[in-house]
Amino acid sequence: MGLLSIIRKIKRKEKEMRILMVGLDNSGKTTIVLKINGEDTSVISPTLGFNIKTIQYQKYSLNIWDVGGQKTIRSYWRNYFEQTDGLVWVVDSSDVRRLDDCRAELHNLLKEERLAGSSLLVFANKQDIQGALKPDEIAKVLNLEVMNKDRHWKIVGCSAYTGDGLLQGFDWLVQDIASRIYVLD
Amino acid sequence: MEPDLDSTKAAAGNRKHLAMLERLSKRTAATSSADSPEASPVAAFLSRFAAAKAAAESAVSACRSSPDDVAASLAAASSAVDDLERLVAEASHSLPPYELRSALAAVSDLRAAHKLAASEIRPKKSFSFRNKSKATKNPAQDSPPLPQPPPEQPKPNKPNAILPGFGFRSRNGATLVKDLRASNEKDGDFTLADLVSCEVYLKGKCRALYIHKLRDCRVFIGPVFGSVLIEDVERCTFVMAAHQIRIHEARETDFYLRVRSRPIIEDCSGVRFAPHTLKYVGIEDDLRDSGLAEDTGNWANVDDFKWLRAVQSPNWCLVPEEERLPTVDISEVQERDNCN
Repeated sequence: MGLLSIIRKIKRKEKEMRILMVGLDNSGKTTIVLKINGEDTSVISPTLGFNIKTIQYQKYSLNIWDVGGQKTIRSYWRNYFEQTDGLVWVVDSSDVRRLDDCRAELHNLLKEERLAGSSLLVFANKQDIQGALKPDEIAKVLNLEVMNKDRHWKIVGCSAYTGDGLLQGFDWLVQDIASRIYVLD
Repeated sequence: MEPDLDSTKAAAGNRKHLAMLERLSKRTAATSSADSPEASPVAAFLSRFAAAKAAAESAVSACRSSPDDVAASLAAASSAVDDLERLVAEASHSLPPYELRSALAAVSDLRAAHKLAASEIRPKKSFSFRNKSKATKNPAQDSPPLPQPPPEQPKPNKPNAILPGFGFRSRNGATLVKDLRASNEKDGDFTLADLVSCEVYLKGKCRALYIHKLRDCRVFIGPVFGSVLIEDVERCTFVMAAHQIRIHEARETDFYLRVRSRPIIEDCSGVRFAPHTLKYVGIEDDLRDSGLAEDTGNWANVDDFKWLRAVQSPNWCLVPEEERLPTVDISEVQERDNCN
């Protein structure tokens, strides 16, 4: 923990946060990032590799790493774990069939020691679709309450298509990270 | 006078020059010693660190020797350790790895010593250093390994029991027709799953499409103003327009696509691509409303996640023009099977 806290203290001066977006393919990670940045979301190819966006959010500078979710490239997620302050796990709430995969990948990810200190925001995306599972149902299927003790987490329903819920989610995440690493504020 | 003047001038100039040289050499000496990357800042850090460490050590040992004013001495020791850590943090940029590591080790040793002292002096009072307490807790949890695993294992396949949403599922040899414009449902998703030898006609728009486990099927689908996810299909033909298309585990299957972004395939073999060829009365409006009025040509820009190289993937190709389907008009196909 020593090195991590040093890194955090250095970052404190810059008001910078590093946020990692992961989740299964087709969950809407890139769409969320572009939507929150006010960009066109109608032409987005499935992410082959990763995108980085720096967004000014409130008084912080968010470094958002949006990593592709295809099965083939999930094994590369580990390359992006270092120094992550906040983790955003995106779920396609209407893809009920793959929720088992989704849970397995999430819990696999959370075992990672390098992510131990990071806050977790779960976006139950695609809430605009009729028949999408509600956030509390997603939380149950993903078995989120097991980490009540050792992690700050929150699930927020959203639609990257309409933009609903995105700010609410990021507000929580940024506040939670800020209260953890910028103690002097 | 003149030569004299000159000589004094020259002498003065000389002196100036000498002085300047001296200054310069002094400065270069100073900078070179400051610049030599390892020696001085590290040495300076080490000496400051040694001093701070000694202070912290004596503060920690003072806790034990002065039991009268426990709280104050513990707090003093704690802040001394904090100072030490801050010192390391500030210098961490310039320190070589070994020095950094040993300095960090010294800090954490002192933290442990301080914690030990605190717990000995006032065992009940919570001086909680969360990381350390976790570290001591974990081995205890590891030794009885039973309590941890159960939460991970339960409920396999449970969500399958509650598949919501529209769709055609588990059919064999059927012709399945649905006009989404007739239903009041807006912005819904649609699912095709476990179909064998079926013909599927879907008119109207939908927001998302999920296709899973199809064998020997022909599938004609109106515009999807969202994404399509296709998994595990064999010997099928698909005609569809969508914003995004992902194809996993497809074999011997043809795709006639109009797509705004690049379609992707993963774990596929023998898949072929051709342009969209679907017609029904009103499809122009549906395409336009879905942002799919124009063909971007992306139907041929396939990314194969299993073939990340510049040369053409062996897993897919284009359908030769002479083999392509003619335009398929499904206007006359009548709805004849309720979806479940």
